[in-house]
Amino acid sequence: MPTDLAVRVRDVSKRFRIYHRRNLTLKQALLQRRRGVYEEFLALQNVSFDVRQGGAVGIIGENGSGKSTLLKCIARILRPDSGRIETHGRVSALLELGAGFHPEYTGRENIYLNGALIGLPRRYIDSVMGEIIAFSELDRFIDNPVRTYSSGMYARLGFSIAVHLDPDVLIVDEVLAVGDEAFQKRCYDRIARLRAEGRTLVMVSHALEPIREFCSDCIWLDHGHVREQGPATTVVADYLAEVNARESARMASEVEHLHQMVPSGRGGVGVTRVRFEGAEGPTHVFQTGDPFEMVIEYHAPGPLTGARFAVDLQREDGVVVLSTATDDDLAASTLPPTGEVSLCIPNLPLLEGLFRAGVIISDTRTGQPYTVLGGAFPFRVRTHRSRDGGIALLGHYWRLPAALRPLPQDHNLGTSPSHRKR
Amino acid sequence: MKAHPHLSLFRPSQPRSLALPHNSWALNRERLRQLVRRELTARYRGSVIGVAWSLLNPVVYMIVYTVVFSKFMRFSIPGTSYPVYLLSGLLAWNFLTQSIGASVNSILGNSALVKKVAFPWIMLTVATVVAAFINYAISLVLLAPLLIFFHVPVSPALALLPLVTAVLFILVLGLSLGLAAANVYFRDIEYLTMIVIQVWFYITPVIYQLDQILAASHNSILFAIFRWVLYINPMTWIVTAFQDVIAFHRWPAHWPGLAYAAGMGALVLVAGTLLFQRLSHRFAEEL
Repeated sequence: MPTDLAVRVRDVSKRFRIYHRRNLTLKQALLQRRRGVYEEFLALQNVSFDVRQGGAVGIIGENGSGKSTLLKCIARILRPDSGRIETHGRVSALLELGAGFHPEYTGRENIYLNGALIGLPRRYIDSVMGEIIAFSELDRFIDNPVRTYSSGMYARLGFSIAVHLDPDVLIVDEVLAVGDEAFQKRCYDRIARLRAEGRTLVMVSHALEPIREFCSDCIWLDHGHVREQGPATTVVADYLAEVNARESARMASEVEHLHQMVPSGRGGVGVTRVRFEGAEGPTHVFQTGDPFEMVIEYHAPGPLTGARFAVDLQREDGVVVLSTATDDDLAASTLPPTGEVSLCIPNLPLLEGLFRAGVIISDTRTGQPYTVLGGAFPFRVRTHRSRDGGIALLGHYWRLPAALRPLPQDHNLGTSPSHRKR
Repeated sequence: MKAHPHLSLFRPSQPRSLALPHNSWALNRERLRQLVRRELTARYRGSVIGVAWSLLNPVVYMIVYTVVFSKFMRFSIPGTSYPVYLLSGLLAWNFLTQSIGASVNSILGNSALVKKVAFPWIMLTVATVVAAFINYAISLVLLAPLLIFFHVPVSPALALLPLVTAVLFILVLGLSLGLAAANVYFRDIEYLTMIVIQVWFYITPVIYQLDQILAASHNSILFAIFRWVLYINPMTWIVTAFQDVIAFHRWPAHWPGLAYAAGMGALVLVAGTLLFQRLSHRFAEEL
């Protein structure tokens, strides 16, 4: 292996057995002369990649794409069926925080136990005990049994021990996803420092933000294959595009299915179809700040007078973010028997989430609805800036002490995704 | 949340060789130490009498067996007192039972650890055996008052106790490793083991005496089979050696038997270790 590499993975394949009927007892196995009926499942297929010393590689992919299997192979918890994995230097895998904690042990005793298991020598633990306890912020509880700890305290203690590992290669699974915001931020700070020291990092994360931030390179696993590898920003962007496209297609087919099911409304007035238009044509996935257009194609037996179109946008959790309708001017005019009515939002202020749109066409003269399609049309909004949370991005800016240069104003929607600097 | 700017993650200011010796032997020794400690604590913490638990078990058995066999059934062992004879065999036997009983589940019961942390998992099983061994060592102190009470002299043969114990340890470790690994694949091995151990107890001369069986005059087929089983059972020779050096204060009378037991022990240890290593490749996916 070239000396500038920290990890070299060559043609690694791993099969799992999916048991249909598993003989977990000797009795069954002897009676049936085999250990069960199983199907082989290729979790990894000819995966190859290199990680430079001091490099950082992120592994992304959908659930079941083989990310964790790959990490476990590198950590030597699993053994590949074929192919080779070479590592250079000390490898530490952080797949779970607080592994092996004994509930009856105090926090302090568990530091020694867990530390020994993950590979910290006792003398070293003695020398950093104060730091571990300080980092965990559990000073008052450190001599209580960990069974009395909350899950957050448990994770904090586990992480505080793990950050004192001194690996040449650190392998991190989704473990950092635990804990509150502040704890996560400190975890990421530690990883940033590790990177700065030139240690090698291999990480799996569901959140793409940390991958973009910490990793120079990225591997996209798809059903056990390497789908794409290269610079993290490119691979993440391609991955996201595919995820969005797939979700958009799924939503489109859901809507298509719906259109076929929906009968014509009362009096023959109804919705033919509803589609969403983004900056680049029909889609179901929008970025915060994108132009948003919801096009309602309607049909009526003849010229339509006195109609009111109403739309409500609801977030997945039931929060109505917008409920609006056409005005009386439209009701007073006559619409052609078929046509399109669109709801346009120039810079969509909604923040990350899954939303559903509902449509009602009603007759203003009788007050009776022609057709009601409540919450029928799904769309997704993605937000790149992780410091923005909530339902919608309200226009705002920060006023700062006069001595400072004003920050770029944040109320401009539609800015390019900016990265969070820590 | 408080910040700790004075903390540095990987302490680059320290020479790394000083900070973290990357010596896997030392690391594994520390792992073993911690796991043994966990094993012992699991048993004692939260119990009022603590370590006394490990003494209670052999004492209770000794009293029960003494009452049943010596008082009711009028067993007697010429040349020593029955309680002393019984205890010297029971201590050895208890180590085997406790060690295997705990070890058989040592991988399955730690599945969370095996699936998430890469370290030599064999430590988990070795730790349960060592923990049982420490219990055994503690229970040896029971002998002192008993020997004094029954006026059993201490002979130089007692110096052989470590050697005999070593033979026992090797056999038990080998069995524990093999069973712990196999139990991951076949989960009824744990229950099967318990049954086998119960039967095994009665084909090992703990409550009766080997020499009496060998000297007995009846010649039924069943008895011939029983003798044959006693011969091939390595525990026969180990327990007999315990009784010789402790209760009979003499050198082991069956040297070839003890040598055979040592050979079997070595064989079992090699086989158990190989089986463990082989099966351990798939532990993380079978658990």
